[in-house]
Amino acid sequence: MGQLTLLLQVAFRNLFASWVNVIIGAIVLFGTLLVVVGGAVVESLDESLSRSIIGSVAGHIQVYSEKSKDSLALFGKMGGEANLSAIEKFSDIKKVLLQHPNVKTVVPMGSNSTLMTSGNTVDLTLARLRDLYKQAAPGETPDLRAQIDSVKAHVRQMIAFLDEDLKKRNALASENTLDPTDLQALARAQSPEFWDGFEKDPLASLEFLENRIAPLVADGDLIGMRYVGTDLVSFQKTFDRMRIVDGTPVPEGQRGMLLSKFFYEEFFKLKTARRLDLIKEARDVNHKKIAEDPEIQRRLKENQTQTRELLLQLDPLKTQQATARLRKVLGSNETGLEKLLVSFFTMDDTNFDTRYQQFYEELVPLLDLYRIRLGDELSITSFTRTGYAKSANVKVYGTYEFTGMEKSQVAGALNLMDLITFRELYGYMTVDQKDELEKLQAASGVAEVKREDAEASLFSEDSSLVAESSEGIIDEDVQLDGASQARRQEELARRKYTQQDTEDGMVLHAAVILKNPDTLEQTIAELQESTKKAGLPLKVVSWHQASDIIGQIILVAKLVLYAAVFIIFVVAVVIINNSVMMATLQRVREIGTMRAIGAQRGFVLGMVLVETTVLGLVFGAVGALLGTLAVKKLGTMGIPALHESMHFFFSGPRLFPSLHASNIVTALVIVVGVSAFSTFYPAFLATRVSPLQAMQTDE
Amino acid sequence: MTHLTAVPSADGARPIVSLTDVIKTYTLGKVEVPALRGVTLKVYPGEFISIAGPSGSGKTTALNLIGCVDTASSGVVMVDGQDTKQLTERQLTHLRLHTIGFIFQSFNLVSVLSVFQNVEFPLLLQRKLSADERRQRVMTLLEQVGLDKHAKHRPNELSGGQRQRVAVARALVTRPKLVLADEPTANLDSVTGQNIIDLMKELNRKEGTTFIFSTHDAKVMNHANAVVRLADGKILGRITPAEAQMAMAASAEGH
Repeated sequence: MGQLTLLLQVAFRNLFASWVNVIIGAIVLFGTLLVVVGGAVVESLDESLSRSIIGSVAGHIQVYSEKSKDSLALFGKMGGEANLSAIEKFSDIKKVLLQHPNVKTVVPMGSNSTLMTSGNTVDLTLARLRDLYKQAAPGETPDLRAQIDSVKAHVRQMIAFLDEDLKKRNALASENTLDPTDLQALARAQSPEFWDGFEKDPLASLEFLENRIAPLVADGDLIGMRYVGTDLVSFQKTFDRMRIVDGTPVPEGQRGMLLSKFFYEEFFKLKTARRLDLIKEARDVNHKKIAEDPEIQRRLKENQTQTRELLLQLDPLKTQQATARLRKVLGSNETGLEKLLVSFFTMDDTNFDTRYQQFYEELVPLLDLYRIRLGDELSITSFTRTGYAKSANVKVYGTYEFTGMEKSQVAGALNLMDLITFRELYGYMTVDQKDELEKLQAASGVAEVKREDAEASLFSEDSSLVAESSEGIIDEDVQLDGASQARRQEELARRKYTQQDTEDGMVLHAAVILKNPDTLEQTIAELQESTKKAGLPLKVVSWHQASDIIGQIILVAKLVLYAAVFIIFVVAVVIINNSVMMATLQRVREIGTMRAIGAQRGFVLGMVLVETTVLGLVFGAVGALLGTLAVKKLGTMGIPALHESMHFFFSGPRLFPSLHASNIVTALVIVVGVSAFSTFYPAFLATRVSPLQAMQTDE
Repeated sequence: MTHLTAVPSADGARPIVSLTDVIKTYTLGKVEVPALRGVTLKVYPGEFISIAGPSGSGKTTALNLIGCVDTASSGVVMVDGQDTKQLTERQLTHLRLHTIGFIFQSFNLVSVLSVFQNVEFPLLLQRKLSADERRQRVMTLLEQVGLDKHAKHRPNELSGGQRQRVAVARALVTRPKLVLADEPTANLDSVTGQNIIDLMKELNRKEGTTFIFSTHDAKVMNHANAVVRLADGKILGRITPAEAQMAMAASAEGH
């Protein structure tokens, strides 16, 4: 006891006796600081990411068919969608999964993606014109006539712009790249004769414009859209971070879609407006300056060069209005709208806020702010697994977002859809199609099942009809003619489906929410077992695995931290080793004296080890304390996400790291271990110091 | 000057130190340097002996062998009845701790420890006494060397003489049978050196501790019961301090 007290005393007093110790101390301090802060940040990152992933779509566990060729990647993967096998009947696996005491909810899902165009302005305007003619068909009113004339004038203006653009483009190109038939079509569309004769057969004229002119305008975007088909009611109940932003939820039992707010803004909003929004956000939230930020400057420049987007949307009347408003706002005598727009969009830090407000107050009322409005139908075409193109019109009821991840591209890429539509797009026969098939069969006299029986056999547990509905059965024969197609669409949009319709059909995967997430791994193993026993072999994976690349990022962050810590401590080992060697050499006489007086080698070994351990503990404690303070500070301030893509990882715009006792304990154990380890060799050398060294004199 | 201590006797009493035909050769590179060439010497308990001789005569080597910090190339070194050649490194250390006290030319105090802790150090290594006993023992000795007021000081706050007195106290704190001092006064001025020798002498008389010290200072030699003269690694003889002084004077004249 007395000896240890002595050793500790010697150790403490030697702490600042040598500058070498101070250097070791500094390294140890820094190392501990890094372990504590880094550990806390990475752990919090892990927690927040898990909150993001679990709370947005994954749940704690995801299950999918064991026959799947790929592994599930909820947020998409390189090279398209994961190839998953279908689970034929969701209710079967739901029943098995719910038998586990730890399973709270199971949400059916299917994810897929598609490419779509946002539609070009000419198409949209022509569609509006067609609509007006349709309305006017039973009897024309003066009001309708005025509208028709206005839209017609708009179309003519568009064609003029188009002609101008094409000629400019042609002048720039070395060769004449235009197809002569296009030029002919364009000439015809501009000729007064065409417009004079328009009213004789408006629909034929429209068809000409739609087929020959609209394709020449290339302002539609190709949009890659990911969607998750799910039980929307259950989804919203389960993932409580989900929030409807605009519009309404899809009414229970109906077909419909909810677009991600981020996706909607990013791809369907008027680009000029979107750019202005982003600039405003950069200025207000991130405190950027137009004068200093090249990205903002680029966006402003784009607004000036891409005024065509606005010009095309405005019919002659609105063009006049816009011109008048801009002249007033700018105090200009300019008459050309394009020039006015360019000077309006010439913005700097002093006038941005006013111009932003003016844009929304003066110009936006004249424009379509979104290409797809809430309540519109979105036409989605998707390829079934066997290669057929399937399309469906889905009504967009609203936009939604996940709280905290409003700006995240990852979370924002997911659009939600009802399961019935999803199945249809995936190439599965839906209840409606079965009905139709039966109607057709009945009509053609090949009915095998009566309507009433069909209903029963469709919804009974051991339905042979449902079992038959495997991919590939898609009947291209059952294509209906245009009119009945439209009627069918309208019918479908209003049609109500039962919960059974939703649950008895195919899904690709399902989210499992647990009552106690702490026993995740155990539950996974047990579910794997129980589904196998039930004859429904599933792959059961944690949210980590289910999110593929995204889930791995935390692993990468951990690896980077551990590598940094490892390097620091390797350096520490080398430096401590060298320093203690030097210190030992400096103390040869002292050690020799102790040995001469009667200290055994073990005592000397103990002395050196205790000294470095104390050194490690003292400086480690200071480092841990500083680290704790740093984490506390970060915990209140938060680490701002430097880029919007980090919102998903931070589960919000800022990460608030918190400290666990384990962080500090780990740091101290590592530090003390490292310092003791790096002292072994010099300590061994110290034991070799001969008592004879005591006899040497200083002089 | 009369000496009240036990006079060396060949009859009956066992010598505490006994060197028989001791040869010690150091190897410096390829050259063998003889330090002791056949030394035979007996020291009896209670003696106060000085080893004298010019530098290089083998004084320090002899003390190192007696102090068990080095071993002989040949011959027998017996300390407290034990043949040091037969002992392991551990046992030698044990012997040093319990039987021998050391006083060094450069004091060799542990700079980060206080005066008290320096003196207490060997007792802690021994692990025989309780904290109270240690305290009592240390304070008694510090009183004896006149440093009880300086118990809490650090060595660097003391003068050279005070430091060497701390070293004396440290050497005696375990109540060793034998105290070895290699040139204990070499780093001190003559008055201080004199005081240290007086202190050693007094302890020798009171406690009966055997002292063997080396010196080349005639005044210091004077205090010894006997002077062992060494030259070129051989003992010239065991003489009285007075004879030694005469011999030294003679050799000085001879030069």
